[in-house]
Amino acid sequence: MTAAPVAIPEAPTPPGGVRRWLNSPVGAQVTAAVVFIGAWQLLTLIAPRVPGPIEVMQFLFVEITGGSHGGIVRGQFFEHFAITLQRFSLGLFFGFVSGLLVGILIGSSTLARALLNDTVLVLLTMPAFVWAFLTTMWFGITWQAPVLTVAFASFPFVAINVAQGVRAIAPELRHMSTAFEVGRWKHFRHLTVPAVAGYIFAGLRFAIIIGWNGILLSEWFSGQAGVGFRTRYWFDANRYRGFVGWVIVFIVFIVLVDRVILNRLQARAFRWRDQKEVDFIEIQEQQVGL
Amino acid sequence: MTDTVAESIQELDQAQVLRTAAGSRRRRYLAVLLGWLVFIGLWWLLSLWVDSEARLPSPGRVFQEIVIILQGDFWTQFWASIVRVVAGFLAAVLIGTPVGFFMGRSKYWGNFLQSPVIVAGSIPGLTYAVMAFVVFGISFWGPVLAVGLIAMPYVAINVAEGVRGVDRRLVEMSTAYGRNETQVFRHVTVPSVLPFVFAGVRLSFSLAWKVGTLTEVFGSSKGIGFQIRRNYQLFNMPGVIAWVLLFVLFMLLIERFILVRLERRLFRWRQWEREA
Repeated sequence: MTAAPVAIPEAPTPPGGVRRWLNSPVGAQVTAAVVFIGAWQLLTLIAPRVPGPIEVMQFLFVEITGGSHGGIVRGQFFEHFAITLQRFSLGLFFGFVSGLLVGILIGSSTLARALLNDTVLVLLTMPAFVWAFLTTMWFGITWQAPVLTVAFASFPFVAINVAQGVRAIAPELRHMSTAFEVGRWKHFRHLTVPAVAGYIFAGLRFAIIIGWNGILLSEWFSGQAGVGFRTRYWFDANRYRGFVGWVIVFIVFIVLVDRVILNRLQARAFRWRDQKEVDFIEIQEQQVGL
Repeated sequence: MTDTVAESIQELDQAQVLRTAAGSRRRRYLAVLLGWLVFIGLWWLLSLWVDSEARLPSPGRVFQEIVIILQGDFWTQFWASIVRVVAGFLAAVLIGTPVGFFMGRSKYWGNFLQSPVIVAGSIPGLTYAVMAFVVFGISFWGPVLAVGLIAMPYVAINVAEGVRGVDRRLVEMSTAYGRNETQVFRHVTVPSVLPFVFAGVRLSFSLAWKVGTLTEVFGSSKGIGFQIRRNYQLFNMPGVIAWVLLFVLFMLLIERFILVRLERRLFRWRQWEREA
C-alpha cells in the first residue's frame, strides 16, 4: 500500500492537481461530505416528508436569528440553549464531584470496593431515560429533574474511571516513595495526582457525553424549556425540519466540546503518557458512545 | 488497539487472582454481600423516611412487584426485546462488516468513510429512537433499525482495525505457496477479522441495548422499554423500579456469563499466538 499524497494545493487548477487533491485524505473527506449531503437532498425527492439539508439550514437560520417561522412563532435559540447549558453544568458538577469522591474511596480501600463496586455497576447499566422518568416522578416538571438526570447518569462513569486510576498507581513507585520517606503531601502531589489525572480527565469526558445525552432525554420527557423541550416542540408540531435542526445543534455542540476542546487539552496535558494507557482509555470511550 | 486491551484486562485478572487467592476470597464475598445488604438497608430507611409509595417504595414492595412480573408476562416481554436487539445486531454486522472491510483495505475509503462513521457514532440515541418511530410507527422494525444504526459504526471501526492488522507475512507466504485469493480470504483474512467483528458487537452491546429499550419507549407495544413507559404513565413507581431492576440484572448476567466467556474463547488463539 502506498502512502496517499499529502500535498494539498491551494488552487487545484491543473488537471493533475485536482486528481491528486481528490485522492488526498482531505479530498476524500470533502467528497464524502458532498456525496452524503447530496444523497440526503436526493432522499427528499423520493420521500417528501424528510426535511432536506437546505430546508434544515433555513430553519436554523430563522431559529438562531429569532425571525418568524410564519405567524407568531418566533425563533428561540439562545433562550433554550442557555437554560440547558445552566442545568447541564450544575448536574455535571454534582455528578463529577460525587463520582470523584466515590471513585477515590473504591480505588484506595478494598473494603469500600467490595461494598460499593456492585452498586456502581448497577448504576452504570441503567439507561439514562430511566433517570429522566424517575426524576420526573419525584420532582414533576421542574428544573431539578434534568439536573439530577445529568448527575445520576454521569456519576458512575466518573467513579469507575477514578477508581481504576487510583488502583493503577504503580505499587513499585508507592513502595519506593515510602522507602525513601517521601512526605505525605509530596507523595500526593507528585505521585497520586499525576497518576490519576488522566483517568479523572477521561471520567470527565464520559460525564460530559453521557450527561449531554441525559439532559436531552430529560428535557424531552419533562421539560418546560431547553434544547430537549424545543426539539420535542417541533416534533410534536409535525415540523421535522425543526427536529432535525435541533438535533444537529445538539451534535455539533458535543462534537466541538469533545473533539476540539477536550481532545486538545488532553493531548497537551498528557504528552508524557505511554501509548498503552491512552489506548485503554480510548477503547473505554468507544464503549460509552463516542 | 484491541489486543492491548485484552492484554491489560488479562494482566488485571491475573493480578486480581494472585491478590485474592484462597483465604481472602471468602472475606471478599462477605464484603460484597454486606455491600448489597447496606445498599438495601439504606434504601429501606430512605423509603421509611420518604413514606410514600409513589415516590420511593420499600425494597419489599418492589420485590413483590418483581415476583408478580416473574409469574406474569416477564418472559414474553423480555423475549420480544431480545429478538429485536439480536436482529438489530445482525443488521449492524451485515452492514458494518463490508464498510469496515473497505475502510481497512484502502486508504482512500478509510478517509472517505471516516467522518460519516464518526458522525453516525455521535448521534444521540434519542434521535435514532425517534427516527425509527417516525419511519416505522409502532412496529417490530423500529428497535431493530435503532440498534442496527447504533451498533454499526462500532462494528465498522473494529473491522477496519482488524483488516489493517491482518498479518502481511501470512498473506505473502500463502501467495508464495500458490494459494489463490479466495483461499487467502477464507483462511487468513476471515479468521483474523472475526474477533474484531465480535469486539465491535461487544463494545456497543450495552449502548445498543439501552437505545433499543428507548425505542420501545416510543414506538412499541411490547418489550421492556414499553413496560417501563406503561408503568411510568400509570405513575406506578414500584412497577418502574421493578422493571428497571430486572433489566439491569439481565444485562449484567448476559455480559458476565455469555459475552465475557465468548470473548475469551474467540481471543484465545491470539493469546496463544503471542506466547508461541
